[in-house]
Amino acid sequence: MAQYEKILLKNMEQPGYTGSLADYERADGYQALRHVLKEMQPDQVIEEVKTSGLRGRGGAGFPAGVKWGFIPKDHPGPKYLCCNADESEPGTFKDRQLMERDPHQMLEGMVITCFAIGAQTAYIYIRGEFRLGTKILEQAVQEARTAGYIGENILGSGLTVNIYVHPGAGAYICGEETALLESLEGKRGMPRFKPPFPATHGLYQMPTVVNNVETLANIPHIINRGGAWFASIGSQPKSCGTRIFCLSGHVKRPGNYEVPLGIPFRELIYDLGGGMRSDKPLKAFIPGGASAPFLTPDHLDVKMDFESVAMAGSMLGSGGVTVMEEGTSMVWAALRLMEFFYHESCGKCTPCREGSSWLLQTLQRIWGKQGRPEDIGILEELCGNIAGRTICAFGEAEVAPIQSTLRHWRDEYETLIREAQATRPRKKDIPVFTH
Amino acid sequence: MLLSKFQTEVEEILSHYPVKRSALLPLLNLAQREDGFVSESAMRDIAKVLDLTPPQVFETVTFYTMFNLKPIGKFHLQVCKSLMCALVGSDDVVRWIKTKLGIAPGHTTQDNNFTLSVVECLGSCGTGPMMQVNDDFYEQLTEEKLGRIFDDLARDGTCPLKTGPFMYPLPLAK
Amino acid sequence: MAASTTTDMITLTIDGKTATVPKDTLVIEAARQVGVMVPHFCYHPKLSPDANCRMCLVEIEKMPRLQTSCSTPVAEGMVVKSESSAQAQDARKSVLDFILANHPLDCPVCDQGGRCDLQDFSHEYTATTSRFNELKRVFQKEFFSPLIETQMNRCVQCLRCVRYCDQVMDVKALAPVGRGTLTEIKAFGTHELDCEFCGGCVQICPVGAITSRLSMYEFRPWMLKRTDSVCGFCGDGCQITFQTKNETLIEVNSTHGAGRNNGDLCARGYFGYHVSVHPDRLTTPLIREGSVFREVTWEEALELVAQRLSEIKTTHGPDAIGGLITGRCTNEDVYVFQKFMRGVIGTNRIDSSVRYGHLNGVHAMQRVQGTHRWTVNFEDVVSADVLLLVGTNITETNPITGLKVKEAVKRHGAKLITIETLEPAIGAISNIVNLSQHHLGVKPTAYGSAILGMLKGVIEQNGIDPDLQTMAPEYCKDITAHIQAISWSEIEEQTGLTSSLFEKAAKVFVQGLKAVILIGSGVLRTSGGFGMTVNLLDLLLMTGKLTKEGCGLAPLAEENNDQGTFEMGGIGAMLPGGKSLGDTEARNMFSQAWGRTVSDLPGSSLPQMIEEATNGNLKSLFIVGENPLASLPPSSGIHQALGNLEFLVCQELFMTETAQQAHVVLPACSYAEKDGTFTNTEGHIQPVRKAIEPVGESRPDWEVFSALSVGMDDPMEYLDVKEIGKEIRNLLPGMRTLGPAPLPAQPDSSAISRYVNSDYKRDLSARYQLPPRMSSGQGHVVLMVSQSLFHSGKFSLKAKGLMQIQSEGKLFLHPKDAVRLGFDEGDRIRVFNGLGEVYTKVAFRERTPEGVVVFPEHFDREIRRLLPYTVDPETQVPYCKLAEIQLGKIVAS
Ligand SMILES: Cc1cc2nc3c(=O)[nH]c(=O)nc-3n(C[C@H](O)[C@H](O)[C@H](O)COP(=O)(O)O)c2cc1C
Ligand code: SF4
Ligand code: FES
Repeated sequence: MAQYEKILLKNMEQPGYTGSLADYERADGYQALRHVLKEMQPDQVIEEVKTSGLRGRGGAGFPAGVKWGFIPKDHPGPKYLCCNADESEPGTFKDRQLMERDPHQMLEGMVITCFAIGAQTAYIYIRGEFRLGTKILEQAVQEARTAGYIGENILGSGLTVNIYVHPGAGAYICGEETALLESLEGKRGMPRFKPPFPATHGLYQMPTVVNNVETLANIPHIINRGGAWFASIGSQPKSCGTRIFCLSGHVKRPGNYEVPLGIPFRELIYDLGGGMRSDKPLKAFIPGGASAPFLTPDHLDVKMDFESVAMAGSMLGSGGVTVMEEGTSMVWAALRLMEFFYHESCGKCTPCREGSSWLLQTLQRIWGKQGRPEDIGILEELCGNIAGRTICAFGEAEVAPIQSTLRHWRDEYETLIREAQATRPRKKDIPVFTH
Repeated sequence: MLLSKFQTEVEEILSHYPVKRSALLPLLNLAQREDGFVSESAMRDIAKVLDLTPPQVFETVTFYTMFNLKPIGKFHLQVCKSLMCALVGSDDVVRWIKTKLGIAPGHTTQDNNFTLSVVECLGSCGTGPMMQVNDDFYEQLTEEKLGRIFDDLARDGTCPLKTGPFMYPLPLAK
Repeated sequence: MAASTTTDMITLTIDGKTATVPKDTLVIEAARQVGVMVPHFCYHPKLSPDANCRMCLVEIEKMPRLQTSCSTPVAEGMVVKSESSAQAQDARKSVLDFILANHPLDCPVCDQGGRCDLQDFSHEYTATTSRFNELKRVFQKEFFSPLIETQMNRCVQCLRCVRYCDQVMDVKALAPVGRGTLTEIKAFGTHELDCEFCGGCVQICPVGAITSRLSMYEFRPWMLKRTDSVCGFCGDGCQITFQTKNETLIEVNSTHGAGRNNGDLCARGYFGYHVSVHPDRLTTPLIREGSVFREVTWEEALELVAQRLSEIKTTHGPDAIGGLITGRCTNEDVYVFQKFMRGVIGTNRIDSSVRYGHLNGVHAMQRVQGTHRWTVNFEDVVSADVLLLVGTNITETNPITGLKVKEAVKRHGAKLITIETLEPAIGAISNIVNLSQHHLGVKPTAYGSAILGMLKGVIEQNGIDPDLQTMAPEYCKDITAHIQAISWSEIEEQTGLTSSLFEKAAKVFVQGLKAVILIGSGVLRTSGGFGMTVNLLDLLLMTGKLTKEGCGLAPLAEENNDQGTFEMGGIGAMLPGGKSLGDTEARNMFSQAWGRTVSDLPGSSLPQMIEEATNGNLKSLFIVGENPLASLPPSSGIHQALGNLEFLVCQELFMTETAQQAHVVLPACSYAEKDGTFTNTEGHIQPVRKAIEPVGESRPDWEVFSALSVGMDDPMEYLDVKEIGKEIRNLLPGMRTLGPAPLPAQPDSSAISRYVNSDYKRDLSARYQLPPRMSSGQGHVVLMVSQSLFHSGKFSLKAKGLMQIQSEGKLFLHPKDAVRLGFDEGDRIRVFNGLGEVYTKVAFRERTPEGVVVFPEHFDREIRRLLPYTVDPETQVPYCKLAEIQLGKIVAS
């Protein structure tokens, strides 16, 4: 089995590595920051990151350097960096590991980013359920502050960066960058319409960069070893570097695997993940978190980079790869995800708010053997009426499971509906619609 | 009043933000940690500190699922039921808990020790089935594990099986 | 909105039509301007866009997906397709399908039915729920409030109500509770709504989710007759629309964009209309017989009044008769009344409720700038960059002017300076000082000192206008000298504020390009009121703002037609048009026009009439809609005065304390039953229209005066109100300001130069010394008897809606004071001073500062016994709103 050099997981996989400041420094931690402060101008840092081709790891995959470039240089007021540590996309659990095992890696990335965009304050918006991660990050920030890596006049350079950990309180949508900002302002976490974009009107209407944990964790390495080096990893030109894929579902060895972008799914699932957990063959997999359309065994050799997966009709999204074995009902799987999306729709946009409950109820009926022949048509129409007509990408996300399972496994829906027509409905099966 | 009790903590929190309202979630967390739920008087107190009206606090509280508006059991068992955990048996976990503690989702045991909730993805999809108990995660649950966890919790208030700093899979010893 | 700054124009096409609009205009507004109506729920011009309903989607060339026209600003050359876009039309239909899916479709029992956006759009887009076979969400019904009802099953979650309550009202009483489709609008927890009850949420809800309980299920919109008129409560003069179903008042509302209030109302306007149809309304004339009243015919009553007045006139002379009229009457009523008194009776002994305070503002303006009106209007308030509020809890006295201030501060970033007794504190009712950047919090007895502090601040940073220094060096020198004679330490001692606070505020004021000063009862109805007002005009003069476009002084009128009442001659010494009685030319003009000589004997004010009556020189009073027994404290001697009268006539809506003393009581119409005009606080004359027939045998006031003149063989007859209006306009050309907005009066330079060259000296040293402080003895607190948002005078106590919000007076005090004195919320306590003692309930309010307690004047029947009474030497305004008192627990003896 091929061995790949790890970048982000390297330190933490060393025996005895605790993620303490001492350990991190022993592993050349904060050298990148020292270098930046001594040798570099903000623009040079941004250029370096542009060269690296690093794209956002949170889901949208927007080039990080380009995003930083949008921050107005001459802005009089304060600017902000927000680290998106909300990690709520079902199937995703990489940021949790990065934060709990090697917090200083991302903190160093954050300080460098603040230097690059001219921000003096940064917030880590971590999902509220991650109590342990919150504690670990708070300690790490404290350590770094005492050591002079965070705070006023960092390493005597005159640079000031304060970092605060801000726990959420249970809302998937707060992972969406503008909802995150609303939530950080102490409001209901409802996305804002764009434009204006956070780069100009973000936190407190000030210029703001929002980046994912993994994105920021890559920064020190890009500085240390150069953008060109980073760009040489993965599949050029558009999918550079490594990525941590979160493997879950019916595989032998689920978990986080850091590999260069562009290896085929087959390698991740069968070589690294050890293949299917039982004798049952693979039936379906989700390549990029709950929001990504399902793929089939025919797609196992698709390369895991942004373009190839898009070509295959899905997306790499948050990097959560979920595998399902033969015998798993695709209608049931879509229903489980629909329950999630119904529960998490913030309710701002009419199509998403009302559509999610309509879709959920229809699926519940079909699964509960109460389906009607017209239901499939309704599902398809509703999906079409939601996607593209909402404020945030949740609209596209919530219809992805249904649209893709209908595309590849339509017969499963039809069978359930046929059975429903055959057997007279039994009242007690009718799912009740509750919150 | 809650906030005078945590004076220093509150001031520390407020110092993080240029705009007071940003301290709302942290202060609500504080309140819930203290009382196990967010009471009306807590909401009023917090409103006062942040120059908000009580309805402004209330609307925010009700948006976030982690805040309880009513008291709950000593240990809040939150079992993830999202697809990834469901694939590896989260429904069994709920069933086991029903038989062991005799409570259905949304209910609390007689002794007020355990409240069971079924929740959406908690971010440990690779190590499911899992549940969160108060601040701690318990992963790769089995029926035996559950039994031990409940005994320990009831006896010691904590359990060594909880997950520490997360890494999975663990590196193969070279 | 504000007169916006330099706007370059942008041209775009919408459905093929070309629109040219200012940049930053939203596509949906640009479309409206070329007649393309884009359907929408969540958008409202008064609110910042939220783009949540997704109904207004349009196709825009070169943009990837459909865009919400409510949140997209126009761009040069933009090509927008609305109706002409199949894609957009399809999206809208699907949005409606989604909404209807969870909508109860209970239109037959919905008060919104017939004026519901959802109904209209569904019809337009033939949306259906035919394909929806699922369960609809159901919220269990909860009691929301006595006046406002919610039906959350109908809610489309556009959050207009919530945003209005926050952005426009600054009240923030509504909370969207929960997440997703089960979100519902609530107050706080399970508590019922506690707010300003402006009715804005009811008016702005596009469907029937929030409705008024006062009119619930009583009507179908298309059955209602609409009558546009003007609110009869405060001086803001909001346009209201009476909705009537054959002679019954069903509801009142105000169309968005209409009137000076732009469709916004307060609780009084929205929920107070039942005052007109209260069962206690007087329905027939009454004549006293011993201790009881006998119902009589108009003929009999009028004959008796005419006969007695004639007798008194012949035996004791015309000046034995006085007249008093309320500022609630129409301009036409007041005009005919004073014409009757001056012309038919032959006396200038006329006074009106203007005397209670508004007169201070008017006289000060006349003296310094030669106008009897504001030199600014609401538009100037909204577009001001600096606003100075002195002694006005504006939200509670003039709520809509308050909204203009909020808009200026919240939307346009104006700087707000407040000299106020209220302290910043969040509460159920919005609090203007919460928006203040420079709050100078002082006791109600220290406004004068604070004003001097502002002037000192200006002078010390050489804020004096150079032009003025050249034009009136002596004036500048004198004022400066007098100010410098007062030390900061004295001012700090009196106000409890540091000099730096004044300096900062003064700096901001001096820098203001458009500065407006708004003053309320704290100045106008408090001892020294006239002097303070003149000093504020000095402040404008000194900083070169008095004559500057968009700058000026704005005294707030409390009653709906205080301003008009003054302008119609409702003050004895002032002829119609604000001309002085001493002005022979003017007097002759009216004598001629009326064919009756106007006496040159000075009239007398209410305080003087009280004296005259007490010492027997005044034999009779004709009181129209005024209730001095309730408006003035016993210490004024009003009881004895009225007791002395030979003949007292009251023309009234209700049997008031004063009417009970009358010999004859005549039933009058309320504002809902008559035509005419009101002049609002800005000086804007607006049409009042009859919405229902007169209650009982009541008659419009002017008709009664005219009938009496006939009875006294000196007929002044009018066909109708229009004829009176014509007479007024012929005599006073300046009175033609009917129209969308008033043209502000222009400062008169000759008056100004008269003032700065000599007149200012007259009382300079009196005005430029610190006012005497109330001798705050141990345990003494200051009692402020003031206006509540939910009432207007004693009049509104007959409005059932308002009584449901506030039905009794409580003494408001700061929780700290309460703790100090050992009171609990709701305790009955003892309030006393040298004048007597009364008992009342207490309630806590953070915004009332320690050492001050507030009591709503509408319920002061008991507590006014504690109020001392003084009279302004110059303007004869009675001051009786403040008292030194002590508080004590009731000890069971
Ligand atoms: C519904 C929704 C949920 C999201 N959740 C997350 C999340 O949990 N974590 C995250 O990093 N990004 C999340 N995103 C993506 C963010 O909006 C944003 O693109 C990202 O944080 C930008 O950082 P990056 O450029 O480094 O990826 C979410 C987006 C949407 C539409
Ligand atoms: S699409 Fe859904 S989740 Fe996103 S803003 Fe609209 S309602 Fe909220
Ligand atoms: S009006 Fe534009 S989204 Fe509601």
